Amino acid sequence: MNRRVLVAGALVVLPLLAVLVMNLGRDPHSIRSPLIGRPAPPFELRPVGGGGPRSLASLRGKPVVLNFWATWCMPCLEEHAALTAGARRYEPGVQFLGIVYDDEEARATSFLKQRGSSYPSLMDEGGRTAIVYGVAGVPETYFIDASGKVVSKYAGPLSPEVLAALVREAGGAS
Amino acid sequence: MRAASWGALLLALAGLALAQTPSDDPRGVVGPPRGQPLQGAALETRTKQVAALLRCPVCQGLSVADSPSPTAQNMKAHVRELVAAGYDQDQILAYFERSYGEFVRLEPARRGVNWLVWIAPVAGLLLGVGVVLFALRSPKPAPTAAAGVDPLSLPEDPRLAAYMLKVRELAYGWPGGVPPRPESR
Repeated sequence: MNRRVLVAGALVVLPLLAVLVMNLGRDPHSIRSPLIGRPAPPFELRPVGGGGPRSLASLRGKPVVLNFWATWCMPCLEEHAALTAGARRYEPGVQFLGIVYDDEEARATSFLKQRGSSYPSLMDEGGRTAIVYGVAGVPETYFIDASGKVVSKYAGPLSPEVLAALVREAGGAS
Repeated sequence: MRAASWGALLLALAGLALAQTPSDDPRGVVGPPRGQPLQGAALETRTKQVAALLRCPVCQGLSVADSPSPTAQNMKAHVRELVAAGYDQDQILAYFERSYGEFVRLEPARRGVNWLVWIAPVAGLLLGVGVVLFALRSPKPAPTAAAGVDPLSLPEDPRLAAYMLKVRELAYGWPGGVPPRPESR
């Protein structure tokens, strides 16, 4: 009788334990973006520091590197040099765009003045574009191919190597 | 006939164009609103209800309704707009799921393998009740000789009976192993 109870208990508990152990150490936030393989959500946003609105649709035919960032985000600071250099390197075949996430325009302006920039950053009022892209923190970078399809998403600071690989994957010349 | 086929082609093209509607337009993602546009207190109540079902993506296990983070506040504002426009709960959840994946739902959607999560606990509970009922109803073991027998009776074997009396005499101090009878008045 005791053995039967033990076996029945093990049958119930072991699969549960297996599920828990399998997912141990996995960050639930790092799931694959459902946008990958689908058309990138369109947007039309005003650049930091003024000027006419920039739209994704106007960039059709060119791979786009779309980087969500904020001045309060340390990893964004970390990757800033790689992105600035990357934008210069892949010009004019690949368009780099920044989207300011949950930050003030004045701060973004002074950040860019101080650290330099080689591509436009756009203001996302109300965070609507970030929501549509499913941004769950900064920095996050979306790689969009010439047909306007999302090819990949990278969460965290980009190194020049990773950036080069993902640009190549999106069809950008290297 | 030819005109008709041209017409069909044009219609198909128009359909394609419609299918390409911007995906930040909820209509292009989840279709036209299925509910009634809300406003005032009803709008706030409904917004809170739906936001409570959405996971705040920058928090740890908090709903959009409960989180004070700017991201959650932005999402809540978006929910409010969708509710005001008449989108129902399923449509709004589907809209956010398209951006954030199923992870954005705090409750697993009732579909496919997810049904296991909804059904298994109830099934387990019913199974447990069944097991308990079965155990209660199964025939009890036959009553043993000990029950319903006078504790002072003696075995039939005279030698055993003599031993029993001796034990009672030693244990209880009864002379001859026989309990003293209460004196009748």
